[in-house]
Amino acid sequence: MSARSRRVLALAATSTLVLGLTAACGSSGSDSAGGKVTLRYGIWDAVQKPALQKSIDAFEKAHPNITVKIELNAWAQYWSKLQTQMAGRTAPDVFWDHVGYFPQFAKQGVLTDLSPYIKADKVDLSVYDPKLTAGWKQGDKQYGLPKDWDTIEQVYNKTMLKTAGLTQDDLSGLTWNPDDGGTFVKALQKLTVDKSGKHPNESGFDSKNVKQYGLALASPNGQTDWWDFATQNGCKLQDKAWGKWTINQPSCVEAIQFVQDLRLKYHVAVPAAVTNTPNGAALPAVLARKQAAVVWDGSWDLSAYQTSLKGNFGVALLPSGPAGQGTVYNGLSNALYAGSKHPKEAWELVKWLGSEQSEKIITAAGTVWPSIPTLNKDFVAYWEKQGVDVSAFSKGAEGTTIGYPLTTSSATYNVKVLDPFNQVWLGQQTPKKAADTVNTESNAAITD
Amino acid sequence: MSANISGRRVADIERAPDSSVTTAPVRTASPVVGPPPRRRLRQTLEAYALLTPSLLGFVLFLVAPIIGVVVISFFDWNLMGSPRFVGLANYREMTGDSEVWRSVRNTLYYVALNIPAQTVLALLLALAMNRGLRGGKVLRVLFVLPWMAMPVALGIIWSWAFDPEHGAVNQFLSLLGVSGPEWLSSTTWAMPVLASINVWQYTGYTMLFLLAGLQAIPESLYEAADIDGVTGLQRFFRITLPLLRPSMLFVLVTNVIGSFQMFDTVYVMTQGGPNGSTDTMNFHIYQQAFQLFRTGYASALAMLLFALILLVTAVQFLYFRKRTVYDFS
Amino acid sequence: MRTHRTIATAFGRTGLYVVLIAGALLSIGPYLMILNASFKRPQDLLTTDAWAPARHATFDNFTAVWNQYGMSSFLLHTLLVSVAVTLGQVVFSAMGAYAFARLEFPGRDLLFWGYIATMMVPQMITLVPLFLMMRELGLVDTFAGLILPTVFGTPYGIFLVRQHFRTIPSDLEAAARIDGASTWTILVRIMLPLSKPILATLATITFINTWNNLIWPLIITNSDRTKVITVGIAALQGQHVSDLPHIVLAGAALALLPLIAVFLMFQRHIVRSIALTGLK
Repeated sequence: MSARSRRVLALAATSTLVLGLTAACGSSGSDSAGGKVTLRYGIWDAVQKPALQKSIDAFEKAHPNITVKIELNAWAQYWSKLQTQMAGRTAPDVFWDHVGYFPQFAKQGVLTDLSPYIKADKVDLSVYDPKLTAGWKQGDKQYGLPKDWDTIEQVYNKTMLKTAGLTQDDLSGLTWNPDDGGTFVKALQKLTVDKSGKHPNESGFDSKNVKQYGLALASPNGQTDWWDFATQNGCKLQDKAWGKWTINQPSCVEAIQFVQDLRLKYHVAVPAAVTNTPNGAALPAVLARKQAAVVWDGSWDLSAYQTSLKGNFGVALLPSGPAGQGTVYNGLSNALYAGSKHPKEAWELVKWLGSEQSEKIITAAGTVWPSIPTLNKDFVAYWEKQGVDVSAFSKGAEGTTIGYPLTTSSATYNVKVLDPFNQVWLGQQTPKKAADTVNTESNAAITD
Repeated sequence: MSANISGRRVADIERAPDSSVTTAPVRTASPVVGPPPRRRLRQTLEAYALLTPSLLGFVLFLVAPIIGVVVISFFDWNLMGSPRFVGLANYREMTGDSEVWRSVRNTLYYVALNIPAQTVLALLLALAMNRGLRGGKVLRVLFVLPWMAMPVALGIIWSWAFDPEHGAVNQFLSLLGVSGPEWLSSTTWAMPVLASINVWQYTGYTMLFLLAGLQAIPESLYEAADIDGVTGLQRFFRITLPLLRPSMLFVLVTNVIGSFQMFDTVYVMTQGGPNGSTDTMNFHIYQQAFQLFRTGYASALAMLLFALILLVTAVQFLYFRKRTVYDFS
Repeated sequence: MRTHRTIATAFGRTGLYVVLIAGALLSIGPYLMILNASFKRPQDLLTTDAWAPARHATFDNFTAVWNQYGMSSFLLHTLLVSVAVTLGQVVFSAMGAYAFARLEFPGRDLLFWGYIATMMVPQMITLVPLFLMMRELGLVDTFAGLILPTVFGTPYGIFLVRQHFRTIPSDLEAAARIDGASTWTILVRIMLPLSKPILATLATITFINTWNNLIWPLIITNSDRTKVITVGIAALQGQHVSDLPHIVLAGAALALLPLIAVFLMFQRHIVRSIALTGLK
């Protein structure tokens, strides 16, 4: 590098430093200059950002004095960051909230009770699915407006299902039981093929050299795998809302055992070494490269399947277990931070995001189901255009469902559950022992 | 100057009976003779003037937060509510926490896997590079490139590499007729995988420092050795290695400190699993602090990690002190 | 005998080259995979092997990551922060290192060992008090907040430069002092010109570390106005696994290229300077 270019570099560097510092000084605390208010909106899903931005643009047009900045952080960092921000009293004015964290936040007083605002502005809560509205309620306090909902169903590769001579209806009407696996395991056996073309129920099947599996399961906490089987087996994760964890009761352990059997006894599910989180293969990838014909996943992931399969996938209902059908039903809310300096404007944003106009804009992008049931048809219409029938998700939601456990110990559960259950799927630990350990540790962390 | 630590140390070492060291070109410490009082005052003022920016950063952004951590370690605090003083309770809990001691074992195991492999490989590379091979400069640059890898970006690449069925590593092994293990699901293999990723990233960087040490060895010593008929391995063990000790100390001390604080790879690849086999201390601290929000307990664990690093670093200094002219202080 | 030996040497040399070239390929393999994969179409990315060449190469991932996900401004922020921190560290480390290497003052050894000792304190946990402090200073979500903790130099940087200063013969300085040169003049006119390589090394190390830093920017920045590239890439990872691997990979490739360019620009200095520090 010549002396001249070095000087230029030094000059450039110095000026950027000065520029940066002045910009920094100028920006701090200027968020309400001249009657204009800047709101911060915290979200974690990059896929939903473009549609959300459209809705925000419409909001800003209607409220010329308010600017909204979306702050995107991935799920993996979102909660750590949000809680650090809350400790520093610098959390976003409005943010996505999850049932897993809501009880703890409500207890810590970092959420604003929306009911006075709702009453003053005469917001009609009956447009929402009542299950969702109730999920964000504690006593007579409303800690967020429902944003969306999701269920878990079976996503399948159309080509692979056709090759095996099965239809979506076949896949939607299956049953399982812990003794012989039922028609569910039979269908998966049809979809599982080893290198020489044999199925697991045929003699000479080589479980070490499987070309494609019937099923792939992966979940860091159970939502997209064993919680659903557990519900179908009559297991309750908690004795009551806000109560103790009960994942070690027999009906739960039996379901966990069945998930292990799918891999290790029936050889119809992709081995855990491939799918275990955090670094296992992504389910859309497993389906796209034909490692498995069927995966269990949430409706929020549809876009990821579209990216890699371009319409060559469908959605079928989960099977019924000994206790019937069942899936995990969940949703997010838009919450108002109790430390917001602009609660009135932030409420306007929350209200807008929960309005029919805003949800219409977002639903048109097909990323998540809307919290207002009358708009569900828009979501269905979007996916019909892509050649995918997504009605299984809404059918599942109408049947038996469980929600996320309501407890203050979700963070502990989420940290403690990953490793022992990964061990169960690998066959290194018994379902009973894993369930006992996680149950004890999670209950010990409950605070009241 | 004569009374300060460095002067004493150099003198000690010069008296050391180890013959290999006396062949080293002993560099005398800067012979600034003890200044008269007025100059001393001026020097003090000048020194602190020069140090002001650095000291400002040091005190504000390093020492103050460290004191903060020490204080927090005596409290029960979840970041949100008000902290509650608990005295030594966090430290008492630590002694009975089997997960903590597992993380200590895991950390030591990681350091034991990582440091020797990385150092030996880097040394071999440096020796090869020091032969002045044609194209050596290009090779050297390629070896150093992994150093600047960005952990968030490489997570995807590593999961592609170590996938048991579709991964590059096992596909390569199957070409050789070996069926590879389920790397990251195996309690035996997960830690070696993490260590090898670190070796990949830092071997070239370490090599640079050792190469520098090699190039600083005067050619005349080797010529003299040739005349004495010292060849091959003897040459290496009697001249090269002893004279490389200063570089070795630097590389070992900084790499060991870095290894004890390894975090990124565990975070991206295993989250401490399988079966807790990669739950290192720094990851455990992260989990307690930023996932379970037990900030006080995590701070106490950080003190334990600091004590461990201090101990291991002190041992390295004592070991090398006897044999080196490394003028550290 | 002589021919035998030559053959053996030639053979050894070839073997050495084979090993070294294999090692070099292993070193850059992951980078090549990132680059290759970032040119693949999303639907090919997950269905073809990572090392299979991009058959339908496309620039779409790059345009998407550049336009839709704001990577252009994140890269600019990263550059700004990295340059500012690097500049500060080089200047302030040189000043501090000179004091430690050459000047006599009370508290010197204690202070120096204090610097060394802080290198051993696990950094992660100190981020909590540091963040709370920054909040008190009103520096959350500002460039100042990003830059301040490291711009004044790190113990490692001071240590590195100090070791080098100590290898410079003091005769030069003594002569200059007799001529009446001030300490500052000696530092600027004598020490620094003799220390260009080590300063280049420190600059490179600092630049790379700042460029790749994730955890501090993650904590201290909130908005796109101050977001840096590592945080931008990390934000694209999905809830459980990456839903947008093509975007993440293109972002990673964009983030890596300037870094490699800087390294290639300075690599000659770095290698030479580490040689000159002598580290003894």
